[in-house]
Amino acid sequence: MAEELIKVTIDGQEFEVEKGRPLIDVINEKGFGVPSFCYYADLELQASCRMCLVRIEKMPKLQASCVIRCTDGMEVTTKSEEIEKAQRAMGEFLLANHPLDCPVCDRGGECELQEVIFDWGDVEERFDEPKNAHPEKFLSPIVANDQQRCILCKRCTRVCHEWMGEDAIEAGNRGSNTVIGTYGGWLNCSQCGNCIEVCPTGTLLDGVYRHETRPWELDQTITTCTYCSDGCQLSVGSRADEVHRIVARDRYVNGINGEFLCIKGRFAHGFVNHGDRIKTPLIRYKKGGKLIPSTWDDAIAFAAERIKESKKAGVVATSRLTNETVHTLKRFADECRDGTSYAVSDTYDLAPFFENLSAPLCTHKEIRFAETIVVIGGDVDEEQPLTAKQIRQAVRNGGANLILVNDTPSRLSHQASQFIHVNPGTVEAFVLALADPSAADMAAAKMGIGRAEIDKARETANATKGDLIIMFGKELGAEAQAVAANLPSRHENRNVKLHPLAGYCNSVGASDMMPGRKPVADVVAGSDALLIAGSLSDEEFAAADLASKPFVAVQELFLTDTAAAADVVFPAASFAESDGTYTNNDGFVQRVRRAIDPVHQAKPDWMITSLLASELGADFGYSFSASAVFRSIAESHEAYEGLRYPDLKDETRPVRVKHKLVSGADVSGAVASLRDRVSQFPDAADKITEEPRVGHKLHRVTTMTGKTPQFHLLANGNPKPDDLLVSPLFQFNPDGSPKKEEESEVAAG
Amino acid sequence: MEIKAIGCEPLQLKRMHIENGHTLDVYRQTGGYESLKKAMNMTSDQIIDEVKASALRGRGGAGFPTGMKWSFVPRDSPKPKYIVCNADESEPGTFKDRYLLERDPHALIEGMLIGAFALGVETCYIYYRGEYKYLIEIMDRAIEEARQANLVGKNILGSDFNCEFYTHTGAGAYICGEETALLSSLEGFRGHPRMKPPFPAVEGLYACPTVVNNVETLTSVPQIIEMGGKEWQELGTEKSGGTKLWSVSGHVKKPGVYELPMGYHDMEKFILEDCGGMLRDDKKLKACIPGGSSVYAMRADQIIGKNVTLDYEGLVEAGSMVGSGGFIVIDETVDMVDSTKNLTEFYKHESCGWCTPCREGTDWLVKIFDRIWAGGGRPEDAQLILDLCDNIEGKSFCPLGDAAAWAIQGAVKRFPEDFKKHLLQNGNGAGTSGS
Amino acid sequence: MATVATDYTNKVKVTDEVAEFPESVVEEMRSHLTKYPKDRSRSALIPLLFVIQRERGYIDNPGVNFLAQFLNLEVTDIWETATFYSMFNMHPVGKYHIQMCKTLSCKILGEPELTDHICSKLGIKPGETTKDGKFTVTRVECLGSCGTAPMMQIGFEYHENLTKEKLDDLIDSLE
Repeated sequence: MAEELIKVTIDGQEFEVEKGRPLIDVINEKGFGVPSFCYYADLELQASCRMCLVRIEKMPKLQASCVIRCTDGMEVTTKSEEIEKAQRAMGEFLLANHPLDCPVCDRGGECELQEVIFDWGDVEERFDEPKNAHPEKFLSPIVANDQQRCILCKRCTRVCHEWMGEDAIEAGNRGSNTVIGTYGGWLNCSQCGNCIEVCPTGTLLDGVYRHETRPWELDQTITTCTYCSDGCQLSVGSRADEVHRIVARDRYVNGINGEFLCIKGRFAHGFVNHGDRIKTPLIRYKKGGKLIPSTWDDAIAFAAERIKESKKAGVVATSRLTNETVHTLKRFADECRDGTSYAVSDTYDLAPFFENLSAPLCTHKEIRFAETIVVIGGDVDEEQPLTAKQIRQAVRNGGANLILVNDTPSRLSHQASQFIHVNPGTVEAFVLALADPSAADMAAAKMGIGRAEIDKARETANATKGDLIIMFGKELGAEAQAVAANLPSRHENRNVKLHPLAGYCNSVGASDMMPGRKPVADVVAGSDALLIAGSLSDEEFAAADLASKPFVAVQELFLTDTAAAADVVFPAASFAESDGTYTNNDGFVQRVRRAIDPVHQAKPDWMITSLLASELGADFGYSFSASAVFRSIAESHEAYEGLRYPDLKDETRPVRVKHKLVSGADVSGAVASLRDRVSQFPDAADKITEEPRVGHKLHRVTTMTGKTPQFHLLANGNPKPDDLLVSPLFQFNPDGSPKKEEESEVAAG
Repeated sequence: MEIKAIGCEPLQLKRMHIENGHTLDVYRQTGGYESLKKAMNMTSDQIIDEVKASALRGRGGAGFPTGMKWSFVPRDSPKPKYIVCNADESEPGTFKDRYLLERDPHALIEGMLIGAFALGVETCYIYYRGEYKYLIEIMDRAIEEARQANLVGKNILGSDFNCEFYTHTGAGAYICGEETALLSSLEGFRGHPRMKPPFPAVEGLYACPTVVNNVETLTSVPQIIEMGGKEWQELGTEKSGGTKLWSVSGHVKKPGVYELPMGYHDMEKFILEDCGGMLRDDKKLKACIPGGSSVYAMRADQIIGKNVTLDYEGLVEAGSMVGSGGFIVIDETVDMVDSTKNLTEFYKHESCGWCTPCREGTDWLVKIFDRIWAGGGRPEDAQLILDLCDNIEGKSFCPLGDAAAWAIQGAVKRFPEDFKKHLLQNGNGAGTSGS
Repeated sequence: MATVATDYTNKVKVTDEVAEFPESVVEEMRSHLTKYPKDRSRSALIPLLFVIQRERGYIDNPGVNFLAQFLNLEVTDIWETATFYSMFNMHPVGKYHIQMCKTLSCKILGEPELTDHICSKLGIKPGETTKDGKFTVTRVECLGSCGTAPMMQIGFEYHENLTKEKLDDLIDSLE
């Protein structure tokens, strides 16, 4: 829809702009520039910092340009003595009680307050009264707070409310006593740290990175997050081959997530330089023996020899690996030995979905502007935080309808226009009800809901004129996935888009890279020599009995259960140490970039696999170049055809892979078998009424998150220390029990 | 304390001295609820036109024409509409509404009912300042009486007009006297003012069209309907219609609430005769703040012999404003640095903290006054204070910042000799202990 | 030199303990809810905080927890509203909360001397509570009764046209 264009005059120059745009955006876009603190795109307007004052003809006072919408014939002055005096005055007021301790402030060097004062502030300081002081303290193990630096722009409280739906941090007290904080002074929330990100000053600080280094000493590398399937773009700050922090600050990176990140993306990077990383290749020369450090040459030769000797080889990839690695593993299986089977370890396999895909995947931006969003199963808040944020903003700022189908209440269910609370484990029945109206009554009975609920959801969907987005989680089995993927073709006149709530950062990509894969259990059972990149899930590991296999080689960062059971362990490079790509649940293929050199003797996974392949006589022609691997991907996968690394260099314009769309596929078989399965669900069940605590999945201690000590405290109930001025890490043991005095003295000393 | 009308028949103060004036029976015996009946036979437009013709201006302090405010309410809005009475009387020096609420609650109910009938409102809230708890009890009883008499609730007086009344309480925040902050507070949030536009008439309480009026404004409405707008206006001047209540406190013999016709002549007579003159006969008048603390203070020589009329235009001409009509009379024993320090502390305490200039500016100014009072005044302080006031005025989010700036600017500009005394000492301590 | 602000709510030990109230009080709280549209129950927050303060002496943690459940809000939502308003005590006060109006009209008619008088009589400073927990004296901003200045409020009760003698009698009469 074309916007109406109108004329606005800024400092004597006339411009054509879209009617109703925020004046501050227009002024800044046209290169005039007004400072602001409280204005933040897509957050509720405040007009409280009063930095962006301009003079508009026919208006009595100076106006805050953030709340002014452009109207025709508007005449704006952004520079005059009066305005400059006002801007200097606001800067002076903001600095009045500000401690001006920039030399010891973590934000120094990338502080918006500092910059605005440099550009618009006064040279002289007139304030020489006592400053209102607040001690620097901790709000949680990972959020530090120096209240005195606060300018009360309240971006933090607004992102907490609008992005996260948490209301964990708020403004308390009144007037010049106003503070940002919480009841009791302790932050119990998902600890996403977005309040830290958007803070324009050094008030809210990253407790993991605090006092480690200065921002200008860090190299910034734009890369893709290695946790969930949302594929947030982030900036890894590293110095001297050490990762110090991760931010999404827009001065460094502008991806699909803007400045949004979740706790894992932002804080769980401690594993990269952790001392437990495997330092050299390890060989277990004899079953029952120990893993002994060795050289790369020996380890590769030893593994190649064993694989050669085996009767049948198997390859297991994991969906945290880059496309390059999974592709190389697939080639390893195809080209090194005939009959090698391969699998991808993931929370659930997306193959049935992509085989029946009848509409494009929706992007996160489309979610924000959708009209109706149907979320079937999953736990978006905890597993795909960016998607949850986009949904929340679509509902709050865009007035979208949210239909949530789940067996467990969640934060999002408070915002749903319709929360269909189903019996435990019966989410699939909703897909059946949508696909087969004749089975709707049966499905409703099994879900423990009224038929009217289904009809209401259907009506909302039918009345939707804009984008209708269907998301689904891991509850959907193969038939249900196939049926869900086919749903858009039943609504041909509608703008239906699909969004799989995939498990890991490269679930979609790994699924693309390994067509024809088998289940992990089949590959493990059918092979006597295994090459595993990454680790099996706990269930897969328990079922696999790796110790009984004649030969297992594992590429890993840490000596996990899987790695400890291997005969050869190759030290692999983490996402921060390797180049590659991940494909997220939007279908965007995004770059992973090397921020630091591989630690110790680690090598990127694809390189390890190709070294092993060349020892076995297969040359992939990669010449140790990730871009060559990607070229190989582009040549062998239709969806990635023609793509090269230079196409992916701009994170602000992510590139979609072209998943094949199947329209009019016959899924009646899948519907029938889904109906059969649903009919076997129990007729009555108790609903889950208790809402799990915020962070029950985000705070889980895993191989990777567990290397950041703060996660242990969060997972153990985030205890509030008596002394908020000292890091909780010094006051508690990892299990959440208070440290005894002598212990804490040693720790603090 | 005096409560009386001077220069006119008591209209607002009609029932102040009648025994049980707060009861429905007495209210009706003295002509109560007749205006409502009259209004219910008029059309919406007729009612609003009468209010417009009366030149009634908001009595809370801003003085916005009431009829105009009412006419902004979209009549065809599908959303529910609200009238909220602003009984958050907190302007220092102002206490008129308290007596209206205590002794004539039915006048408020009737005024709100007429407004509700005109604007199609079915729910009315009366927002009291938290300290006025005993008044809420009086009002709750009055509402209950009116309900029994079919004046509140469903099918009022047998018509199809429904209107429900509720009392609500604040909890100690001057800023909630600002209409949008009052609405935030009524919704259970911090009392921060909201952006205008949208104005409350379009998006107010619960994002629905809302009229917020001061108590005295609403209690004037029944009189206007009874007398006719034009006639009511003629009690006062052309632009300032009717009569107005003035609260008088400070150094006078007879502090109290006085009803004067608009355009009353003159201010000198009012203070020195009507209010009984100065509290202590040997102390001369030094200053008077005529409109609640938030307006420019006037020097005695701006009042005495200057023929200042008491109405919106007259006070502006004399260098101040009507505001909420709270006279604070100050005699020569008061050091204006001390009194300004006191008011600055008030504004700092009551600043909501939303916008930078008001929050930080008042905090800074209090610190300067503290330093001056402790004997650390510097010659450049007067200029600094004026400059800070200038930096607050017109730049703050809501008028509280302006109010603070005016109160302080007025004192510094008009009483330089008091400031000089402190500032020229240059750190040698002219201050006295305590404040 | 800097002034250090004290935020009492930082010292609150937030527990799961939920206050219990007699049915009559809960009924009173429900009656407040009826004043507002159904989806706007947060409007009742301020009146309900007054009930909590009356019943519990101040806005204590179990009371906040009760309100959070009653209105389906986060405790921090209640904190942000309650701390904005000066009438809510986030920490305990004495049985009699003496609030001296300190704004201009009361001040020029002698409030500072009266406050000094009452404080020295009780042996405390403004803002403090007597050891026996009986009296707290605070100086507050304008209470809207300037015509009868100087004045004060004890609890919700106004005491006007004060003199030292009147104050003495009043304090002595309080049990």
